[in-house]
Amino acid sequence: MRRVVYPITLGFLVFVVSFQLLKDEPSEETRVLSNSPEPTTTQAETIDQKVSTQSEDVLQSAPIEKNYDPAVMAPSDAAEGIVPVRLTIPSIDVDAPVAPQGYTEQGGMAVPNSVTEVGWFEPGTKPGATGNSVIAGHVDGRNGPAVFYDLKELKAGDSIYVEGKDGEKLTYTVQRVVAHPLDNSPIRELFGPTNKKALNLITCTGPYDDEAQEYTERLAVYTTLSSS
Amino acid sequence: MKKLLSSLAAFVLVLGVFAPAVFADNHGDMAMVRVLHASPDAPAVDVYVDGNAVVEGAEFKAATDYMELPAGEHTVEIYAAGTKGDQDAVISANVTVEAGKAYTAAAINNLESLELKAIEDSMEATEGMAKVRVGHFIPGAPAVDVGPIGGDALFAGAEFPMVTDYKELEPGTYDLEVRTTDGTQLIDLSGTTVEAGKVYSAFAVGTADSPEVLLLQDSAAMPSEMPETGFGGTADSGSNAMMLAAAFGVLAMGAGFIVFRKRSEA
Repeated sequence: MRRVVYPITLGFLVFVVSFQLLKDEPSEETRVLSNSPEPTTTQAETIDQKVSTQSEDVLQSAPIEKNYDPAVMAPSDAAEGIVPVRLTIPSIDVDAPVAPQGYTEQGGMAVPNSVTEVGWFEPGTKPGATGNSVIAGHVDGRNGPAVFYDLKELKAGDSIYVEGKDGEKLTYTVQRVVAHPLDNSPIRELFGPTNKKALNLITCTGPYDDEAQEYTERLAVYTTLSSS
Repeated sequence: MKKLLSSLAAFVLVLGVFAPAVFADNHGDMAMVRVLHASPDAPAVDVYVDGNAVVEGAEFKAATDYMELPAGEHTVEIYAAGTKGDQDAVISANVTVEAGKAYTAAAINNLESLELKAIEDSMEATEGMAKVRVGHFIPGAPAVDVGPIGGDALFAGAEFPMVTDYKELEPGTYDLEVRTTDGTQLIDLSGTTVEAGKVYSAFAVGTADSPEVLLLQDSAAMPSEMPETGFGGTADSGSNAMMLAAAFGVLAMGAGFIVFRKRSEA
């Protein structure tokens, strides 16, 4: 009896333990941890936490006279914005051409086929204008790192430069870096209306799902315009 | 007995395989609500949903950004700012919101007949076109048209407290006006710019003597899915880990069989 039970138990234990160990290790290279030392990155790691901290905030700060986020107004001086052609991020050695991108057949955001080029979501907001502009790039190709491989190294305060087709230059400053689960990403927060002049960079992160052939998380770098 | 045990072991192994899967909780069951204070003579207000303060100190003409609320019925109470506990709510109403939809909850009319009007907002932008609608929230003002100055009305005959359907407009800058249906200009909206892929609500608020327009942006062109930004060339996938772990497990099991058999033979 023991002859059978012990080996099976042992085998099972080894499987579970080694799976847990192996499972976490490889993904570390491509996963971005939301718990980076920058305090700003912990502000909103997932929608869940954000919602709960917001409501707590409201409850705790009852005496504050004005306490709400204002609605997004149509800008009175509708800034024209620029058509971006080049993205430069010196702190992680990114210097890449930008191509306009639209929708995929499924209605998602299309991305360039190239692993050295990044894509700007053209139906959305032009960089420099009020709203959320979005630039996405690959984290890797089939055989190695791609243009946004080091995006996870960005920290609040880092500078990002966008060049327009007529040579205009915009400077954005990183506000926070957050990994969102793919099936629960805040698409409206990244692409939707805002009173800010924001540029959000997106790439893949997290564990790779072999079956679905895609990464299970998206890394979002939230930046705002600091000078033009 | 042996057979039972091994099938039991297989079952446990299978369980072990699925247990680590993470089930992400979804926000598909949330609605979005923003609040608009459109009552010209009402004081600043606090808005409570199900007893929790969600907006505090909103004055006339204040509009909040969208807030997430679970789908279902909610009690919305509006108090003069800072008076909850001392005074009764100026409005208390039950509203039902549906998952995935967006709403504007507007406090409208003069203070003495204050009411809460909830309207559904469009989250669907039209490619290449701007989408605009008009709301008439000026108590005591006559029915209005909105259109180019001196031109044909784009929105005709909007009465208090009506909100028109959305209308698709060519993106661009318009010299618009809000005028009474007989042509008297109430509000000059020269240089109003609407952009492609954006959705707007123009709410006329104030009094008949001092009317004005709040032009809010409801939505923008957004993809339905996040971009696919990786091919996995730098990832060691989870199933590799699974294979390795399974191999270790089988090895350990085999080793166990040998060790324990030897012992029982000895």
